[in-house]
Amino acid sequence: MAGAALRDQLSALLSSMFSQGLVDEQFEQLQMLQDEGGTPGFVAEVVTLFCDDAERIIAEIATLLEQPIVSFDKVDAFVHQLKGSSASVGAQKVKFTCMQFRQFCQEKSRDGCLMALAVVRNEFYDLRNKFQTMLQLEQQIQAYDHKQQ
Amino acid sequence: MRLLRLRRRRRPCPRRWRWGVAPKAVDRKVVPVAAAAAAAAADEVSNEVHVLAVDDSSVDRAVIAKILRSSKYRVTTVESATRALELLCLGLVPNVNMIITDYWMPGMTGYELLKRVKESSKLREIPVVIMSSENVPNRISRCLEEGAEDFLLKPVRPSDVSRLCSRIRW
Repeated sequence: MAGAALRDQLSALLSSMFSQGLVDEQFEQLQMLQDEGGTPGFVAEVVTLFCDDAERIIAEIATLLEQPIVSFDKVDAFVHQLKGSSASVGAQKVKFTCMQFRQFCQEKSRDGCLMALAVVRNEFYDLRNKFQTMLQLEQQIQAYDHKQQ
Repeated sequence: MRLLRLRRRRRPCPRRWRWGVAPKAVDRKVVPVAAAAAAAAADEVSNEVHVLAVDDSSVDRAVIAKILRSSKYRVTTVESATRALELLCLGLVPNVNMIITDYWMPGMTGYELLKRVKESSKLREIPVVIMSSENVPNRISRCLEEGAEDFLLKPVRPSDVSRLCSRIRW
């Protein structure tokens, strides 16, 4: 009973993440790779790498935007990195925000970049919370299944 | 909508792929079980397809490695083209059957790595595949002209890799 309830919760969480556009088909591909390969830790590994990467990049961008003279090329390079890793993990919303962010870099608009940074940060934190909940539920389900055996 | 991958144009000179050579039937001897098991393990390693994956992004390295390993390929990942060349030239990654590399990396780019590999008499037979998150036609044609086996758009999917690997004769 408890196992079924946990599975329902996880399923509902994943559905809402897809329907809200937080994650896209690439994330689904990663889940399939995990399921087909029978390697339970793969999605957790990639998601963790992504979150660490994103956190580091956001901090670097924030520092660059605080400088009296902003190096927009450097900011753009970091946004490009973040866009790349969000695309690879299937973090759709973050990826789209990065695409808009690059526009502001091209236009060399500090205000535009600061606004885009705020949006990307919020979206990333939201996604990270959901990923963390997802991983916790998966661990609970695994623990429950293990106990049943 | 997925963008079409461009195929490499046929070059005038034929390319021959040299892969790990399988033992001939005449070389197989009858050996005790333990020795046979050890020999089988060694054969497995030397006949396995070995891919060197180069990408500065830890996320992308994890994804490409997983996709390749799920097709039973052996994968060595490195985070820079410079490191990849070092390993290849020093013979620290034996029997590499394919190199798959990101295009844009700090320091040496994947394009530069491609050129160095194709210029080297020791390495030039190894097929090199370029990956990029940007669909830039000039970039793609330059890589193909320089001898890249293929050019994949990121994010790379398992279907991209299986289509690619089914074309290459291991």
